[in-house]
Amino acid sequence: MSWTWFHKLGSPKWFFQFASRWALASFWSGVVLLLVGVIWGLGFAPEDYQQGNSFRIIYIHVPAAILAQSCYLGLGIAGFVFLVWQMKMAPVFIKSVAPLGALAAVIALLSGAIWGKPTWGTWWVWDARLTSVLVLFLLYMGVIAIQNSLEDKVLADKAVAVISVVGLINLPIIKYSVEWWNTLHQPATFKLTEAPAMPIEMWLPLLISSLGLYLFIAGLAMLRMKTEVLNRERRSGWVKDEVLKSGV
Amino acid sequence: MTYMSFIKGELLTLLRRKQDTVNALVFFLMVVTLFPLGVSPSPDFLSVAAGGIIWCAASLAILMSVESMFKEDFNDGCLEQWLVSGLSLPLLILLKTFIHWLVVIAPLLVMAPLLSEMLFLPSETFSVLLITLILGTPALFLIGTIGAALTVSLRHGAVLMLLIIIPFYLPVIIFSTGAIRAAQNSMMYDGQIAILAAISLVFLVVSPVMSAISIKASIN
Repeated sequence: MSWTWFHKLGSPKWFFQFASRWALASFWSGVVLLLVGVIWGLGFAPEDYQQGNSFRIIYIHVPAAILAQSCYLGLGIAGFVFLVWQMKMAPVFIKSVAPLGALAAVIALLSGAIWGKPTWGTWWVWDARLTSVLVLFLLYMGVIAIQNSLEDKVLADKAVAVISVVGLINLPIIKYSVEWWNTLHQPATFKLTEAPAMPIEMWLPLLISSLGLYLFIAGLAMLRMKTEVLNRERRSGWVKDEVLKSGV
Repeated sequence: MTYMSFIKGELLTLLRRKQDTVNALVFFLMVVTLFPLGVSPSPDFLSVAAGGIIWCAASLAILMSVESMFKEDFNDGCLEQWLVSGLSLPLLILLKTFIHWLVVIAPLLVMAPLLSEMLFLPSETFSVLLITLILGTPALFLIGTIGAALTVSLRHGAVLMLLIIIPFYLPVIIFSTGAIRAAQNSMMYDGQIAILAAISLVFLVVSPVMSAISIKASIN
């Protein structure tokens, strides 16, 4: 297998062209899939036999939660790639994706709270899942804070890479620590009693809206990365050509 | 510079700048005082919360003492000397962290029986508190070193460092207070202790390397 595609992704110019081709396509197909999944889920999927209609927030909650975790995984991998191979695009990725991941975590937390009120009778419990997503959000905010506070751009890139990688190591520790901490002094009364197996009419829209959110975020991330690349490479020749050719 | 002279120098610096260490310890005492005053002075509440209170206060005190760990060295050019000395930078950082740990943790352990008596910690769980402090605080120092190294070139890096580092402290606090709580309920607690030790070991490997990367980037 040839690895040239991988190395190409490390070149800002090649990435810019790649993203110009795919960003909007990914973004809009994400919007369409999200609409299909959410409308299907909210309007046409069958009611849950225990939770009635309130379960429908799953079509927003679960995609957001998946994305919040996937984005952090991406951050950690990009951080590792940057520390080991010094690829230029990795910090661009981290800088662009961290706010999106933080947003996904916030959506997951808020929609979870709204879902918790009718089903658990409370907005918030210090449950393993909730706490670990909250910590995930704090980790994102740390990455964003250090990115924005360090004036020296070279140092900022290194710093966010270090924090992302260390966060990746810490993530399973956090996950298991809160799970254990919870089982010790709080019985699992609030555990969601899931229907034995979701029927296909219920999980298919969920799959579609999750895919949709992936594409949506990927599109947004590519657009943000394009801006960042232009900013970082503003002294290089190809950016000048690009700007002269297609305007700003 | 050799490793021996480095250790000697660090110890001497800490000895001659006693106030920094004293500040951290007084801060520790003050945070502990906040809880009975702010929440409830009743022995019922305090005896349950004592482990958590001591751990939260210790974490904050350690954050405070670690934050300025590389500041002086950065300002007076020592960090450059470390880089050009031909010695291994991660090892130097590890030694420095170890010395700081020793200097802060020793008086902290001396204060621990006093404070646990003031907070009505049941005396049979006191040994568990000591074990968690000895096994857990290395992780806190090692994680803090990464944060200190990242923000060393900032003039007002303290808040930023707190923002980054506190999420990483949570597992250590969860497991150590979990062990103390388990001991209070006369349950097994060696699992939590083992994980505390494991976390410290993981950061023993990761932290010096990551801190060295950060310091190199900060000096450029």
